Amino acid sequence: MRKISRKYVAAAVTLGVMMLASPAYADGNVKCDAGPKNNWKPIAKLKKQAWMEGWELLKVQVEGDCYEVYARTESGQAIEAFFHPVTLKKLVVYRRGREIYRASGFSN
Amino acid sequence: MKGYAAKALLWIILSLPAILMLWSFLQGKILTMDLLHPSGEMSIRLMILAMLAGPLSEFFGLNRFFRAWLAIRRNLGVAAFGYGLLHLVFYVIDMNSVAAMLDEIGLAGIWTGWLALALMIPPAAISFNFAMRKLGKNWKRIQRLVYLALIIGLAHWFFLDWNWQPAFFHLVPLMIGWLLRSLGRRRKQRIQRSFA
Repeated sequence: MRKISRKYVAAAVTLGVMMLASPAYADGNVKCDAGPKNNWKPIAKLKKQAWMEGWELLKVQVEGDCYEVYARTESGQAIEAFFHPVTLKKLVVYRRGREIYRASGFSN
Repeated sequence: MKGYAAKALLWIILSLPAILMLWSFLQGKILTMDLLHPSGEMSIRLMILAMLAGPLSEFFGLNRFFRAWLAIRRNLGVAAFGYGLLHLVFYVIDMNSVAAMLDEIGLAGIWTGWLALALMIPPAAISFNFAMRKLGKNWKRIQRLVYLALIIGLAHWFFLDWNWQPAFFHLVPLMIGWLLRSLGRRRKQRIQRSFA
C-alpha cells in the first residue's frame, strides 16, 4: 500500500519537474484583430513609424497578430510597444511590465 | 581526489548555460536584452533544485540519490546566485546608463529583482564549511532567506510578464515537496503516538 502511494507521488513529482522544464513564454496577451497577413503593412514601414516616435529600436517582431517593438525612448526608458499590423497605429506601450500608454478605444 | 574531480565536473555542468550565454553575447549573435530571460530563469530553477533536495529526501528517505543531491545542494545555491549576478550584469549592459536604471527602480518589475538578488547575498556568502561550523544554528536561519528571495524573484517575473503561469509552474514542484514533507511528518507523529 505504501509502495503504491509512493509511486504516485514519484509520478507527481516527475510531472512537476517536467512542467518546470517546459518553456515559458508570455508577452502580455495583446490581440490586435489584424486579419489575414497579406493585408499587413511591411515591417519596414513599422520601423519608420517607430523611428518617428524618437525611439532607438532594439527588436521588431510579430507577436500573435500584432507587431511588437522593443525600443529605448529618448530618455532611456526600456519599452515594449504593440502596433496594429494593418493601420500601424500604436495600440499599447509597456515599460517593464507597467502600461504607460494605451490608444483610446483599444481594450484588447 | 575523486571528490575534486566530481566537483569540477559538477561546476562544468553548472556553468555550461552561462558559457553558452556569454559565447552568444560575445559573438554578437543575440541582443543583450534577450539574455535577461534565460539567465533569470536559470537562477530560479537552480534555486528550486537546491530547495527541493531537503523536503524530498526527508519524505523518501535517504538513499544514494538523495545523499548525492544533498551533497551538492550548496553548490546549486551558489550557482543560482551566480546566474542572478549574470542576470544583473546583462541588465546593466542592456540599460547602459545608471540614470536610466535609477529612473526605473521604483517600478514593481524592477525593485523586486534587486531585492531578490540582495536577499541571496547572505546565504551565498556563507556557503562554505567554515562559515557553517562557525554559525551553527544561525547558519540555517540565514539560509532561510532563500525562501523570501524565491518568492520575490517569482514576483519580479510576474510583474514583468503579467502572466501568472510560468512563475506559478516553477513553484509547483516545491509545493509538492513541501506537501510531502508535511505528510511525512504527520505520519511519523501518528506512528510515534501509537507506540506511546
